[in-house]
Amino acid sequence: MSQPRPELLGNSSDGTPFLIGQRCRHCSRVAFPPDPYGCEACGALIDQLDCVELRAAGVVQAVATVHRHHREVPPTPFTVAAIVLDDGPLLKAVLTDQSAGAQVGDRVYGIAEPPDSSPPLRFTREHGGPGVDR
Amino acid sequence: MTKNLLAERPVYVVGIGFHPYRHRSDATYVTLGLTAVRQALDDAAVAWADVEVAYTGTALLGMGASRIMLSRLGSTGIPMTQIENASASGSSAVAQACLDVASGRSDLALALGLDKPRGGLPMGPAEAGMANLEGGTIVPFTHFALLASEYMSAHGVSPEAVAKAAEKNHRNGANNPNAQRQKIRSLAEIMAEPISGSMTRLQCCPVGEGAAAVIVASEEAISRLGLDRSRAVRVLSSATRTERLYGPGEGIDAALTAETAKVAFEQAGIEPTDLDVLEVHDAFSIEELLYTEALGLCQPGEAASLVANGQFDLGGKCAVSPSGGLLAMGHPIGPTGAGQIGEIVRQLRGEAGSRQQPDARTGLAHMVGVGAVCVVHVLQRG
Repeated sequence: MSQPRPELLGNSSDGTPFLIGQRCRHCSRVAFPPDPYGCEACGALIDQLDCVELRAAGVVQAVATVHRHHREVPPTPFTVAAIVLDDGPLLKAVLTDQSAGAQVGDRVYGIAEPPDSSPPLRFTREHGGPGVDR
Repeated sequence: MTKNLLAERPVYVVGIGFHPYRHRSDATYVTLGLTAVRQALDDAAVAWADVEVAYTGTALLGMGASRIMLSRLGSTGIPMTQIENASASGSSAVAQACLDVASGRSDLALALGLDKPRGGLPMGPAEAGMANLEGGTIVPFTHFALLASEYMSAHGVSPEAVAKAAEKNHRNGANNPNAQRQKIRSLAEIMAEPISGSMTRLQCCPVGEGAAAVIVASEEAISRLGLDRSRAVRVLSSATRTERLYGPGEGIDAALTAETAKVAFEQAGIEPTDLDVLEVHDAFSIEELLYTEALGLCQPGEAASLVANGQFDLGGKCAVSPSGGLLAMGHPIGPTGAGQIGEIVRQLRGEAGSRQQPDARTGLAHMVGVGAVCVVHVLQRG
């Protein structure tokens, strides 16, 4: 039986996307992406990890526009960023084409991509919609 | 109570050998590996029959590659083990060979770094079942392009200042007949052809084929076999660590390097300022700045100005990547870490010819690899 990958995203009632992270009951570490095995900080088992909603909002720590890529998707050039989420974890994600000029220190927000897109969420400098900047 | 075995039973590098790093060819891996091992045996002036154990560092060759190759030197039946540790595979083969001799299990050991990439690097972590939002976009050059962005922003360093590390390493590689890239490049050439962020083609290492062999020996082997003591270089310490959890902004590769180097310096009983020559994992130009700072050669944010002032040049305070480093000598994966040891040994022997760091006495070799892993060796001539 194949092991399902944890879900990364959810949608608030107003349609705003949020990230699904984990908080360890044992050591309180908040992690993203959610881990299917256990806590990377203290080794607590998976049943000690609670799902938590993380705001898809944060600050750009680093940014790079990619000119060569080994796949057709996303088409080059595209821009990726390392983003420190307001709720703690650091993640890397693709920016929207409109936000390709983002700079270190800019605030960014997650926007859901159309169904079956890879990646399923991009970040943008623009306000992502009602309720995002909670 | 744990022991620092390398302090208790000294281990020396007595032989080094290479098959030049180059673009993939029709040669088999056996030809590449035997070329390096035969050269190392000649360099050490030992016979294959004297070698008591062999470690092959390879990430890509597949199962069981060692015996069918090394038996062409004679089927002596010695223990042979393949070591996979991503980009640090060759470093880890050296680490195991040193441990084997230091433990007293053997007196003469071979570490061979060898690979023949087929295109595409199979990555274990990709099979771990971890989901993310990256969509396959964060390949190594983009991982380091992001670190470059963070570094330049934090320290007010320009893309050109980062690229100068590559300019130096291409210059060094031009004097290394084993290097895949042997061409002096202008800063303008290096700044052309963007790949990702500020990383350009000539600030990214080439991944080709090659081999590097290192033979290590105990005092007893040196005496018994009558080896040339003046060319023996002692391995003062060997340290391996893996990534822990670091906070945003700490930089995994640099933090891991600092932790591993701390162990290596303590066990060797030296300070970073004692280093005359250094080979670091400069797969991307930004890494030279990150690691020279993490190793303690200078303060955070200072490395770019030391590169610009020639302090990391041959003849400078500490020659960094005199071989050309991964950027110019190349990064054929398995060979790279063993080849770094070969270059440090050549430098400490004073046999590096036109790329000799004057009066080099103490050197350090550093590799990181996917995982992340880090391996550091400190070497010193007598």
